[in-house]
Amino acid sequence: MPVYNFKTMAPVPSASDLVDIVLTRTQRKTPTVVHPGYKITRIRNFYMRKIKFTQQTISERLTAMLSDFPRLSDIHPFYSDLCNTLYDRDHYKLALGQINTARQLVDAVARDMIRMVKYGDSLYRCKCLKRAALGRMCTILKRQRASLSYLEEVRKHMSRLPALDPNTRTLLLCGLPNVGKSSFMNKITRANVDVQPYAFTTKSLFVGHTDYRYLRWQVIDTPGILDHPLEQRNTIEMQAITALAHLTCSVLYFMDVSEQCGFSIEQQCNLFRSISPLFANKQLVVVINKIDAQPYDTLESDKRDMIERLVKEGGPNTTMLQMSNVSEVGVSSVKNHACDKLLASRVDSRVSMKKTDSVMNRLQVFYPTARDGVVREAYVPESVLRERERAAAEGGEGKKTRKSRIGYAPTKDDDDDDDEGDETPAESGDEMMVGNGGGGAGDGGRRKKTARELMWENGGPGVWAPDYREQYDLLDPEWRFDAIPQILDGKNIADYFDPDIEEKLRMLEEEEDRLQAEYEAADMERTDGHDTRLDEMETAQVAEIRERVKIARAYKDRSGGRNRPALPREIRGRIKDCHDDDAKLKADAIERRLARVGVDASSMLERGRKREREGPREKRRQSRNARGDAEMEDASSGDYDEDGGVSMKVEGDERSKSKGAIKRQRKERVESARREQSMARSHSRPREPSQIGLKDESMAKVARMVEKKGQRKWFGGSGEGDHTKSVHLVKWCNTGKKRNGTHYSR
Amino acid sequence: MPQHEHMERHRKLHGRRFDAEERERKREARLSHKRSEFAQKVHGLRAKLYNQKRFKEKATMRKTIAMHNERSNKHANDEAVADGAVPAYLLDREGVSRAKVLSNTVKQKRKEKAGKWEVPIPKVKPVADDEMFKVMRTGSKKNKAWKRVVTKCTFVGDNFTRKAPKYERFIRPTGLRMKRANVTHPELKTSFQLDILGVKKNPSSSLYTNLGVLTKGTIIEVNVSDLGLVTTSGKVAWGKMAQVTNNPELDGCVNAVLLV
Ligand SMILES: Nc1nc2c(ncn2[C@@H]2O[C@H](COP(=O)(O)OP(=O)(O)OP(=O)(O)O)[C@@H](O)[C@H]2O)c(=O)[nH]1
Ligand SMILES: [Mg+2]
Repeated sequence: MPVYNFKTMAPVPSASDLVDIVLTRTQRKTPTVVHPGYKITRIRNFYMRKIKFTQQTISERLTAMLSDFPRLSDIHPFYSDLCNTLYDRDHYKLALGQINTARQLVDAVARDMIRMVKYGDSLYRCKCLKRAALGRMCTILKRQRASLSYLEEVRKHMSRLPALDPNTRTLLLCGLPNVGKSSFMNKITRANVDVQPYAFTTKSLFVGHTDYRYLRWQVIDTPGILDHPLEQRNTIEMQAITALAHLTCSVLYFMDVSEQCGFSIEQQCNLFRSISPLFANKQLVVVINKIDAQPYDTLESDKRDMIERLVKEGGPNTTMLQMSNVSEVGVSSVKNHACDKLLASRVDSRVSMKKTDSVMNRLQVFYPTARDGVVREAYVPESVLRERERAAAEGGEGKKTRKSRIGYAPTKDDDDDDDEGDETPAESGDEMMVGNGGGGAGDGGRRKKTARELMWENGGPGVWAPDYREQYDLLDPEWRFDAIPQILDGKNIADYFDPDIEEKLRMLEEEEDRLQAEYEAADMERTDGHDTRLDEMETAQVAEIRERVKIARAYKDRSGGRNRPALPREIRGRIKDCHDDDAKLKADAIERRLARVGVDASSMLERGRKREREGPREKRRQSRNARGDAEMEDASSGDYDEDGGVSMKVEGDERSKSKGAIKRQRKERVESARREQSMARSHSRPREPSQIGLKDESMAKVARMVEKKGQRKWFGGSGEGDHTKSVHLVKWCNTGKKRNGTHYSR
Repeated sequence: MPQHEHMERHRKLHGRRFDAEERERKREARLSHKRSEFAQKVHGLRAKLYNQKRFKEKATMRKTIAMHNERSNKHANDEAVADGAVPAYLLDREGVSRAKVLSNTVKQKRKEKAGKWEVPIPKVKPVADDEMFKVMRTGSKKNKAWKRVVTKCTFVGDNFTRKAPKYERFIRPTGLRMKRANVTHPELKTSFQLDILGVKKNPSSSLYTNLGVLTKGTIIEVNVSDLGLVTTSGKVAWGKMAQVTNNPELDGCVNAVLLV
């Protein structure tokens, strides 16, 4: 279903603005540099592009305009009629038609001129043609000044039309001017329509929305209608007629019995008769308004007769109701009645439509046949049943079933119904019981009043609120209502407040005692009664060591050092101070030096030596393994692949030896290889994990080297995490005779 | 949801801000200063356009002011002497308006007396052949150069058929052929788009006339049957001469003045 929202239409520029827009766009979006020296085809293309672009822009804009404005034949007949009365259909169509022809003319001009440019033989000629083309297109646009300004006005007005949905549930208020339509509208919706004591206050349709039965109802306020022939009606009245004619709705015909509006009841009846053809197929309510000024009962009998006859003439769909906007008597009943009627008729029409049949045919209700004689009912807990029984016994027969009050405040009516005050707690207690599963059954049925009930008893929300201090759980219940100061002795107590402060303090003290005891015990054990205190000489030594450390540190700081983390000597010793042949420091020297700063070097040296001892052995072991592998390979290739490169080399090496020796050697080698193989098989040994995926030992060696190289940087040095960015000196900025700052571009 | 004249409605209900009138007055007062600031700052094409606009506005303003002042203005015609209470020495004087009328008629007469065949554009710059024609090289080796293409707009009659390529020396491109001209009637001061019937005379050369080339100053014959002009003998004229007043190859259209 289309949504009638005319607010999204883009503004229509005036003719001169449109010309500006188009030409600016061409200037901005097409190339601007061309020279007479260019190849003529390039020049021609340059200008053809300009013409084409302008034409495209214009037709784009005009097309957008044409598609924005609704076609009167496509929209809902109500809207198309409304547009007709407001904007004059012919004028509207003419304006759009002219825009359309303008678009075609522009296209034709562009086509002709581009054809001419194709024969242009100089830049000057092409340029003149472009100028002529753009000028002609702009002239065509300028001629549309009147249509464009008309369309802009129409757009503005349309965007302010009420967003009225012709297909939804609608109440339509109509009648003579000044009978109180707008007042009623303001009563039931929030539309805020102008109400004044003179005729034709409302000059156009107004839409408001109201709720009834959880549905949204659209209420339309119409301008007043006078009783004269259709041809004489003006635009204001025609809007009301249009709405009456095209909307399926419930019509509320307002009549002013007090005749304050300036029209007699007879005139009002006459109007009803003259527009009654428009009421066909609609739900009609004749609303007798302003009964505060002139009650219906005291109305003269002939006038009353007139009205009653009118209602009878209206047919079976017509009813009469009385109301007053001033005293608000009957306002909601009029609304409810009208809504109910419309709802019923809508449901009827739905049901009578063919659509429902197809659904109904498919609907079937099945009752399962009973499997056995057992009755299976809903389970109600024992306690609840007990409670119910008790409540029934106590509450007696005066108890009514009522809705819970939770969720809404009682209205005046409700209070009128409440003839007994004690009913409320008992009844809501009942509900509570159900909720709690009979938890409060012990208190003999009279349970404590809830805070909500207390609140209502004491004057409702905003007047009385429960005091939550009652529920404080303190050591001494007397403290509950004590005032707690916020500031005490110039300090905010919240800063010092900790619920477990006592507990924490106790634990801390305990821990301290324990640690103290432990420490003392350990001390006793270690010293075995010795005096641990240093004598004078030792103190002096310690002081000296400290001094040296300080000096060394200062020295290091001054020399700048390298930007890498300082490694503790114990770790560094393994690598830097390793004690092989080419180490700079001999063991004694190291020892001496470290002793000077008070470090015991013995363990470090020991470790270094160990490493020294281990290193070669490990290497040896590795190389032996490698050799074994190579030999094995040789053997296999020699055996099975005489032409392989390895065996060729072997032969080359051993050419000088005697044949028998060679043979023997080879045999031996094969033997040993076999043995090795079988041994390898007997306790198969996996390759070292670091060598998996590498072809042979040489590759493994390369890999090891690469690994070491890579690690050299990481270890101790600044790694990739230590971002440093050296200043990049731009050469041209920093060389030459000019000094910094002598030239503005520096 | 705002509907209809919601702004007016809001104003009616809540009024405007207390200094609204004052602000409006000030804005109005500032406007001339703003404009002058802009006018002094703007340059280039925008300045030109802006000045044109302002000039037009000022002209209309001056006109309206003059109109309002009309009653107090002194017109020559007002001095026209009313008969009756006139001193004798002023009797042969006349209102100035009479003189005006006379001078106008004299001018008119002079105009009519001028030569009947005088054309609006008496002199034109001749168009040389090498400007008019482009050499078209033909032959499979493109070594022959005897064909010419006309580079200006031409009129080609309805029933023209091209000659065989072997004999066709001059080629008139279809893209440059014109069928209609925008003809201005100098007395009616209106323009009509009329069909061209033929080219009577191209001032540059008779060859161009034969080829039907339309350049500035060319005399063409146009179909005026739609205008309903009548000859002195009472017949409806349908062909009339007109002179081309623009360079059609530069403007993409033929503009002409009717010769009457
Ligand atoms: N005493 C009385 N006056 C009413 C009642 N309803 C409306 N009026 C007055 O009637 C006058 C007109 O009310 P409107 O609601 O503007 O009437 P309307 O039918 O919308 O009038 P138009 O928009 O001009 O067609 C106002 O001065 C209202 O105060 C009513 O129930 N009792
Ligand atoms: Mg009203």
